[in-house]
Amino acid sequence: MLDYVISKYNFWIYIILMMIGLYAMIGKKNLVKKLIGMNIFQSAIILFYVSTGVKAGATVPILSGHGHGHGHEVIEVAKYINPLPHVLMLTAIVVSIATTGVAIATLILIYRKYNTLEEDEILMIRKETGV
Amino acid sequence: MIWQLDLILCLFIIICAIAAINVKDLLAAVIILGAYSFFMCLLWTEMGAVDVAFTEASVGAGVGTVLFIAAVSKTKRRSKD
Amino acid sequence: MKVIALIAVIMTGTLLIYGAGDMPDWGDPNSPANSYVSPRYILEATEKTATPNIVTAVLADYRSYDTMGETVVVFTAALGCVLMLRKKRNGEGG
Repeated sequence: MLDYVISKYNFWIYIILMMIGLYAMIGKKNLVKKLIGMNIFQSAIILFYVSTGVKAGATVPILSGHGHGHGHEVIEVAKYINPLPHVLMLTAIVVSIATTGVAIATLILIYRKYNTLEEDEILMIRKETGV
Repeated sequence: MIWQLDLILCLFIIICAIAAINVKDLLAAVIILGAYSFFMCLLWTEMGAVDVAFTEASVGAGVGTVLFIAAVSKTKRRSKD
Repeated sequence: MKVIALIAVIMTGTLLIYGAGDMPDWGDPNSPANSYVSPRYILEATEKTATPNIVTAVLADYRSYDTMGETVVVFTAALGCVLMLRKKRNGEGG
């Protein structure tokens, strides 16, 4: 049992991180806090994805030596970390920043209209004005 | 990958995440989120994902923090929870 | 509200912990994620694209349409920000 817990300890840490982000998204009332929670959630998922490509005892996926690849030296697959999750997650990081930017623009618009960023106050103003 | 370093960095990341969602001052929360991004960058370097670490340090910790600070400076700094 | 959030979070966490039991051990070189597509990239990327960094070779050569789509996404996001935050002229609604 202890062996099982230790051999997968990184997954438990990612799950804790993800749950912190999810709690901030659901339970916090401030909209900026919700956005921070979304960022934490996203980076926990990206962290999980990158960690699936890790190989014990391997090095970074950059081939040593000259970059012409004459084929003289034999490349061992087990000596280099899986590059595919890195490529996909590079895209995901940039897209996550783009979504954060749009969310922040929406946040500023909400503040201009309601003059507050607390979710319950916004709902109360909407109820009073009858929207 | 060195599991001791990995564990310490993961603990720091969890502490930063909990602090970022519990601080009442939004500017402090945003700066803690920047620290969180840099710890994440260190963790990725330790895992061997150097390109992802580069992108996170420049885009996630740099541009993301700047965007959040712009948002906080245009709106209110205090939060109720 | 906070209690509901906590219950939802704990339930999701339990489900994820149950699901993580099927994942391979950390750092296993023979896990399914490491044994199907990526060996081909590691073996052939330098020879075919003359780039020592496999990540950039895959990003810009094998999957360049993916990167092009990413730039479209970023452009759309920037366009949305500019359209949302511009100063309104007099008499313009919205």
